[in-house]
Amino acid sequence: MNLLKQTSLVFWKDLLLELRRRDSLLTMFFFGTLLLFVFHFSFDLPPDKVAEMAPALLWLAFLFTGTLGLTQLFQVERENHCLEALLLSPLDRGALFLAKSCFNLFLMLLVELVVMPLFWILFNLHGWNLLPQLFLVTLLGTVGFCVLGTIMSAVTLRARARELLLPLVLFPLMIPVILATIRCMENIMSAGDLGAAASWLRLLLGFDVIFVTVGILIFDRVIEG
Amino acid sequence: MSLGAIVVGLYWGLVIAPPDAYQGEVQRIMYLHLPSILTAYLSYFLVFIGSCMYLWKREKRDDILAHSAAEIGVLFTALTIIEGSIWGRPTWGVWWTWDARLTLTAILLLIYTGYLMLRSLIEDENRAASAAAVLGIIGFLDIPLIHMSVYWWRTLHQPPSILQPNKAPWENIAWPLLIPLLINIVAFLLLLFYLLSLRYRLGEIRDEIRMRRLEQSA
Amino acid sequence: MEHWSFVALAYGIVWSVIVVYFFFLKRRYRKAQMELSALTSAQTLEEHEQT
Repeated sequence: MNLLKQTSLVFWKDLLLELRRRDSLLTMFFFGTLLLFVFHFSFDLPPDKVAEMAPALLWLAFLFTGTLGLTQLFQVERENHCLEALLLSPLDRGALFLAKSCFNLFLMLLVELVVMPLFWILFNLHGWNLLPQLFLVTLLGTVGFCVLGTIMSAVTLRARARELLLPLVLFPLMIPVILATIRCMENIMSAGDLGAAASWLRLLLGFDVIFVTVGILIFDRVIEG
Repeated sequence: MSLGAIVVGLYWGLVIAPPDAYQGEVQRIMYLHLPSILTAYLSYFLVFIGSCMYLWKREKRDDILAHSAAEIGVLFTALTIIEGSIWGRPTWGVWWTWDARLTLTAILLLIYTGYLMLRSLIEDENRAASAAAVLGIIGFLDIPLIHMSVYWWRTLHQPPSILQPNKAPWENIAWPLLIPLLINIVAFLLLLFYLLSLRYRLGEIRDEIRMRRLEQSA
Repeated sequence: MEHWSFVALAYGIVWSVIVVYFFFLKRRYRKAQMELSALTSAQTLEEHEQT
């Protein structure tokens, strides 16, 4: 259980730092909300169309907000050369990976918890009872995003134009998650989450499992190179 | 070198192709399209192998292999898309359609173009190699998942439009067409290895330049 | 024999791109070769001066 202990240590460190300064969380939250407004003006949908577009719009908002979080993810370590210190310590790289992913996941989930109901209010949607199921699906999608995103965030750490490169590299890889999450959400909103969306859900789960594993195994190569 | 074999192979493919294709001329494009995409897949597989080996053994030649294969893979993927688009125009009347095949190919192009950009944007050569290797591995592992998701999306949610673009050409291939196809596949593979060896040598020289520069400044 | 133009277009583009890439590679190769020989001769010159 050493892996878990190390993971939680690093996670708590990030959490405490964040609680003190709250810059990542606040920027993400405001950016997500801002996107809702922008979408509302850009799309100008009639009320019946909104429910159709809702999953896609929501997920787009989360993608971009999450990317913000990702670019900040290793910022703390970079600023004070803490990264070298962390790497010199006997910290398991897999634990670092898990901790960073969980931290970004945590931030995103907080934002999503607020933004989703906000979306429902701003866009005058019905079906409030569906929100828990929708949130569950979003959770799975966010896990996939954070896992792959953390790897890519570390990979692009030393690159020039990093803020541009990260989405460029990450988004094509995210396509299964994007498709699966939005299809599941659409299914939930039109019917219950039955039958048709089940295979998408399995795909999503598979994606998460695969890349959590890959991430743990490969992260030491990512971060030291 | 193998250049002779390639030229022969290519020419042979072209000559045999004309007499055989009879289901409408445009079908001939398949003799380009299929070999192109197969070559691209093979290249990306080589990127994967090179990346794995590099992360494992840290030998520069694996990295050079990966980099070269990525570059050539992007080349053939771009060609595949162009061929697919040109094939689509007379067949379906449009230059582009979001059917599974074309979409997948476009995604592949995006991923490996990202690979090349990643390499060029990282200053330190060793870091760039490691970073790219990780991307090479993850990208390749993601491909089956992307493949599944795009195919499901396109087959389960077929809009009520007229297009039937999901039928792969190899599902209904007649025997007389198979021969020029195979010839062309072989020809393209030969071409791949030839270009790859050229690009690889370029990579080797560049690496030696880099090493000597390092020695000089040390 | 309809749509011949499309076939020609496709084949034309493909082969010209491949040929262009080939020449592009060759050019980069030659440049790198020259750079390498310049470097090696400069280095051997240094070594001679040091001894």
